[in-house]
Amino acid sequence: MSKEDKDRDRKKVILLLRWTAIIVTSYLILFSKGRVTDLHLSHLLIFGYIFSNLLLTFLPKTWFSNPKLFYSLVIFDTGLVSFGMYLSEMMTTDFYILFFLVIIFTSLSRNFKLLVTLGGVTALLYGILLYSWGLLTSENGISYILRIPFIFIMTAFYGYIVQTFTKETQKQLAISEDKYQGLFENANDGIVILRNPQLQIVDVNREVERLTSNKKGELLQKGFSDLFVSEEDEKALGYFEEVMKQGEGRTDSLSLMRKDGVPLEVDLSAKRIDLGDESFFQLIFRDLTEQRRLEKKIRESKMNLQAIFDGIQDRLSIQTPDYKILRINKAVIQHHHANYEELIGKKCYEAYYQKSLPCERCPVSVTIKTKKPASSILKISEGDTSLRISSYPILDEKGDLRSVIEYVQDITEEQQLQKQLIRSEKLAGIGTLASGVAHEINNPLAGIIGMAEIALEEETFKNKAYLKDIISCGQRIGEIVKGLGSYSRIAKKEEQSLVDINEVLEDSLKMVRLAIKASAVEVVERFQPIEKIEANIGEIQHVFTHLITNAFQAMNSKGTLILSTRSLKDSMEVKVSDNGVGIPQKYISHIFDPFFTTRNPGEGTGLGLNIVYRIVTKYEGTIDVESEENMGTTFTIQFPKRREDS
Amino acid sequence: MNKKILVVDDEEVIRKFLRIQLAKWGYEVKEAADGEQALEKLGKDDFDLLICDILMPKKNGWEVMREVRSNPSMKDIPIIVLTAKNEDVDMFNGYDCGANYYMTKPFTKDQLLYGLKLMFGKDPTNKMEIS
Repeated sequence: MSKEDKDRDRKKVILLLRWTAIIVTSYLILFSKGRVTDLHLSHLLIFGYIFSNLLLTFLPKTWFSNPKLFYSLVIFDTGLVSFGMYLSEMMTTDFYILFFLVIIFTSLSRNFKLLVTLGGVTALLYGILLYSWGLLTSENGISYILRIPFIFIMTAFYGYIVQTFTKETQKQLAISEDKYQGLFENANDGIVILRNPQLQIVDVNREVERLTSNKKGELLQKGFSDLFVSEEDEKALGYFEEVMKQGEGRTDSLSLMRKDGVPLEVDLSAKRIDLGDESFFQLIFRDLTEQRRLEKKIRESKMNLQAIFDGIQDRLSIQTPDYKILRINKAVIQHHHANYEELIGKKCYEAYYQKSLPCERCPVSVTIKTKKPASSILKISEGDTSLRISSYPILDEKGDLRSVIEYVQDITEEQQLQKQLIRSEKLAGIGTLASGVAHEINNPLAGIIGMAEIALEEETFKNKAYLKDIISCGQRIGEIVKGLGSYSRIAKKEEQSLVDINEVLEDSLKMVRLAIKASAVEVVERFQPIEKIEANIGEIQHVFTHLITNAFQAMNSKGTLILSTRSLKDSMEVKVSDNGVGIPQKYISHIFDPFFTTRNPGEGTGLGLNIVYRIVTKYEGTIDVESEENMGTTFTIQFPKRREDS
Repeated sequence: MNKKILVVDDEEVIRKFLRIQLAKWGYEVKEAADGEQALEKLGKDDFDLLICDILMPKKNGWEVMREVRSNPSMKDIPIIVLTAKNEDVDMFNGYDCGANYYMTKPFTKDQLLYGLKLMFGKDPTNKMEIS
């Protein structure tokens, strides 16, 4: 049955029963003591009664579901009927009103059974009283007899109405309770109800069971602080003191104690709820594991990004489209000797270059305009620095420019090295060419020199100085070809083996002695056992042959040559020293430069010591020279010791 | 009796220079233009010295030297290498193959003289003694 049908039925029943009540009351008033003809207050009462019921007929039926209207009717009707009976002046000793009052108050209890029982008892008592007083058999006996069922009917009538209300209220209560229970149990958040002020758990929902992996029964009657890990007891109590003061509060710093001992981080909000004279706290828990995991991931990826950013040795900064610095890496901070805070938020040209406008030809400006990567090489006046500046746009989803990455590389050194490389590649190229044609040149050259020498001895040649010029020019060509040939060899990667430097020194000395008449040179060897080095033996031999030859030449074939070797902590040291003419101080810093020579044209190519230098540095060694004019020269070479693992 | 020297070189002008110069110093000079010729002449005749080029047609100097040193009848003959190969590595190789002296082209008369003195222990011009 729908609610509308119920409302209609209730209206019908109420109206019908009231009509019955009106008829019975009217009868009692009109047919008692023969007062029908005279106008009397009781007649007005009947009219009022009828009028009220007519009024009710026109009221909307939904009003009849309103218990307030209904109870007003009950009181009104009971009062009216009682008053009407009293006015009929037939019941001077009647308790009738008293009974009605009983019904009125009982009806307020809204209990149907009580009402009907009371109605029955009242009707019975009234009947017994009337009988004992002999009124039932008096002339008005019929009026009295009628009153007995009337009491009961009125009571039953109200009882019925009351019951319909009660049932409905209960039903609605049950429905809303169900709804609440559903919401409570199926909520995605954990809900705990605590009794105030004991802070004892009185109810938990399923999510709480899941979060704590405890059963409901295990949690009930426990205390508030038992929910959390024991280390956080103090923190939890501190939080709850605040909640008690404020009536509510929220925290995300507490962890629930799980049955397996693993704490579970939760977001907790609490609120006090007052129900009548009882007070509760409602706690709502939300699992933060996922949120914390995401937070950690974000934090980690942020840190990774910063580490990558800082790990880049070139300067990197991110700028807004109006040149404000958003982010910089360590290289920027180090280069500008500034704090992070000093640079962030400033315009890049102000912070980096103390300018009032963006730098000319800056690729960042290009990227801001075009939203495309740009790059250019700028020369900065300070210290002859060359910078390669590249910029890359960072766009948002709409394709608008959000920021620009500026990448600054100092390429000064790179450019210098490149120049040097080009130069030495040129030299090596010449060398390769030279060594290729060396054989072709040297053979005819030997012929030129040889034949010129023979001619020199011929008596018939008058101008022998010309022949001497031919011979010395020929020898010069020979030297140059030889030098250039050696130059190319170093560039090649040649076979390496373990080389005993002491042995190489002995061999080199023997060879130089074969080539140079130097009988008056005393050679002192101070060799200590030293480790072998990994090198190309030809190259090492070249180094010492060259240095020993130089020494012999510096001593003009007489003097003392000291060759010494010793082992140092990390290296092997070789010294070649002579007491010859020495090197003028002004030349010392240039002697290893290519094509530097103090000799006359024809006597040296200026490549010899450069080749020595290049060989030594190729094996990560160092070469130093000490010299004093007319006192002698000492070359000191150090080769690093081989590492254990290599 | 004059010492007999075999000059091996594919370069005519070098052979010519050596022929004239060595003859002046009183040596008897025979010539060969390549390695095979050289070995052929060495087999027929006894020589007191071999002056040998390295880069030659047919058989190069390395091969000639190795064959000479492995042949019992001529293994003691002194050898001067006279070559345009002037890298150190070649020089070591030359000594390894049995050269007694290694000279690189271009060379002077004096250098040649020095080599001869080392080989024979005396100066053919009688100007100085080898110590």
